Amino acid sequence: MSLLEIKNAHLKLDNKNILNGVSLSVNKGEVHAIMGPNGSGKSTLSYMLAGRDGYELEDGEILLDGKSLSEMEADERARSGLFLAFQYPVELPGVGGMSFLREAVNSRRKFLGEKELDHLAFVKEARKEASKMFVKDEMLKRAVNVGFSGGEKKRFEILQMSMLKPKVSILDETDSGLDVDALKIVSDGVNSQRNKENAIVVITHYQRLLDYIVPDFVHILSDGVIIKSGGPELALEVEKNGYSGLINAA
Amino acid sequence: MQHSLKDDYANCVKNYTNQFKDNSFRKLACNDFKSWPGPREETWRLSRLGTLSRKKIKPITPNLQKTINGKSKHIGSKIIKFVDGAYRGDLSSEMPLGVNLSSLNDSESLEYLQKLKKSNLNHHPSTNVSLSCTPSIMKLTVKKNIKVKDFFEIIYEGGEESQSVHPVLYVELEENSSLYLIERFNHFSTLAMPLQLTEIRNKASLNSIKIFNDNKETYNLSAHCVHLSEESNLNSFSLIKGGMFTRSETHAYLNGCGSKLSLNGIYISGNNQHHDLTTAIYHDVPDCISKQIVRGVLGGKSTGVFQGKVRVAQDAQRTDGQQMSRAILISENANANAKPELEIYADDVICAHGATVGELDDDQLFYLNSRGVPMDKAREILIKAFLEDMINQSVDNSLHDFVFKEAELALSSIIIKETL
Repeated sequence: MSLLEIKNAHLKLDNKNILNGVSLSVNKGEVHAIMGPNGSGKSTLSYMLAGRDGYELEDGEILLDGKSLSEMEADERARSGLFLAFQYPVELPGVGGMSFLREAVNSRRKFLGEKELDHLAFVKEARKEASKMFVKDEMLKRAVNVGFSGGEKKRFEILQMSMLKPKVSILDETDSGLDVDALKIVSDGVNSQRNKENAIVVITHYQRLLDYIVPDFVHILSDGVIIKSGGPELALEVEKNGYSGLINAA
Repeated sequence: MQHSLKDDYANCVKNYTNQFKDNSFRKLACNDFKSWPGPREETWRLSRLGTLSRKKIKPITPNLQKTINGKSKHIGSKIIKFVDGAYRGDLSSEMPLGVNLSSLNDSESLEYLQKLKKSNLNHHPSTNVSLSCTPSIMKLTVKKNIKVKDFFEIIYEGGEESQSVHPVLYVELEENSSLYLIERFNHFSTLAMPLQLTEIRNKASLNSIKIFNDNKETYNLSAHCVHLSEESNLNSFSLIKGGMFTRSETHAYLNGCGSKLSLNGIYISGNNQHHDLTTAIYHDVPDCISKQIVRGVLGGKSTGVFQGKVRVAQDAQRTDGQQMSRAILISENANANAKPELEIYADDVICAHGATVGELDDDQLFYLNSRGVPMDKAREILIKAFLEDMINQSVDNSLHDFVFKEAELALSSIIIKETL
């Protein structure tokens, strides 16, 4: 059974067709990359999966570990093991980084039937994980994403991913706004979490990120459908010839 | 009928002043109070006193033996108490060296009245009624060069149903002095009309926190006039949470070059409460700074009003005036009104203002939801953060927890009731 199964997903926004029958199977231990030009529906796909209000499916189905997500709210999906790393992480003025992480982690632990971590145990765990992502203590004391640089925001996203231990992570344009050094730190963080039990879906414009997070499969999304799937070599083809050649051929 | 009742209170006030001998300041003040301001008066249009004017109220005769068993513990190390609007030395702390607290004599009181009459609070009902009916005007003076380390806490309490209380205070910070003042309004009367004049002399600095937490039936019409001299500083924060109807009106005059003012406030309103933060900031000389952040959270059928005027006189070049107000409605039946006003007559100024009324931010809610935090909890987190963020900026670190808890108490009662 696939860990994430998207079946014939259709979605409209403002009466405009955005997703026109996306289907995708992601198995445990796999990394999939979804590439596509601007406006192909990539971010819509990630919001749809995460359960954002207004991004409900018109038709089709999504299953996470065999369970349908359609009837679940965003928070329930997250607690069930779906994680979305945002392209533009949202600033939360006044919400401290540490208490935000704790709220998130304990929501997931409660759902899994695990004991909630007390303050001390949590701080210890958070610091350990944070140091791996080069996230300084001082950053955890600040309000979530407020005044963070582009790199800090993305590192904080991946820190959340590492603490929440999701089954499936969707990384939406995680490379945007990152310089080479930051890209390496973030990619190392993602790679360190790859294991046989989870799966990662990387959504990106550029092949660049895929040099660091090497996918098992690459899919090209255009006009709300996957027009071609292949191995990592497909990303190189995009890099060389652009999307237009592939889209025209399809 | 309504008219005669309105006159009724004016008559009570008049009768009250008759009992005093030749206290001319009371008579003068009394002459200027004919009736409650009506809805046609622009500054009262959003906060109408129709219900108040139909109530039968008379000015209280303070009971000087009365004690109140307050539940909340003191946060200041020096306490000043007003019960029924009267200063109570027996319940207050002794003043430290360099600080003086005494009542004004008749000629000083007349001077006090004249100062208020020159301000734009001259027609405010609390100016006229409280000066007519106050037991005495109390003056708190911090002497030149004295930096007071203790937190001063003024507690206003007492009052009775169908009666009005009239504490009147004069705070003067002499040159190069400083003070941290916390004022808590915990009245039980139907009407409270606190009046205050504050003068901050050259290079003096006042930190002020006001917490309005009167009884749930109380109308509080607080009026406060502030003068800032050269290079002086006022950092003021108000939390309005109690009462049936609370209007805190402050007029701040920056009339010394290089003075700085921060006039922040939060209102948390639920049920049928009406909360109003009205301010006017007058930049009359060059090189002054005023900053203002106002935030409101409204549930139930409550109403919030923010009226903020900033006037920059022609000579007040290089003024920096910033004003931002934001209200969050957490109930469909709550209402928020914001009326920012900028009047600028100088050319070289930086002035900005913004006012928004809305719901919680969808992106922020979704971000929390996407981390597994349920909607109710996400709302609570964002509302608390919305206020805490500002409390952090406005109050001393050591008072942060106290002020935040006061806000949290009010929030919890309105958040629980909302099931949006």
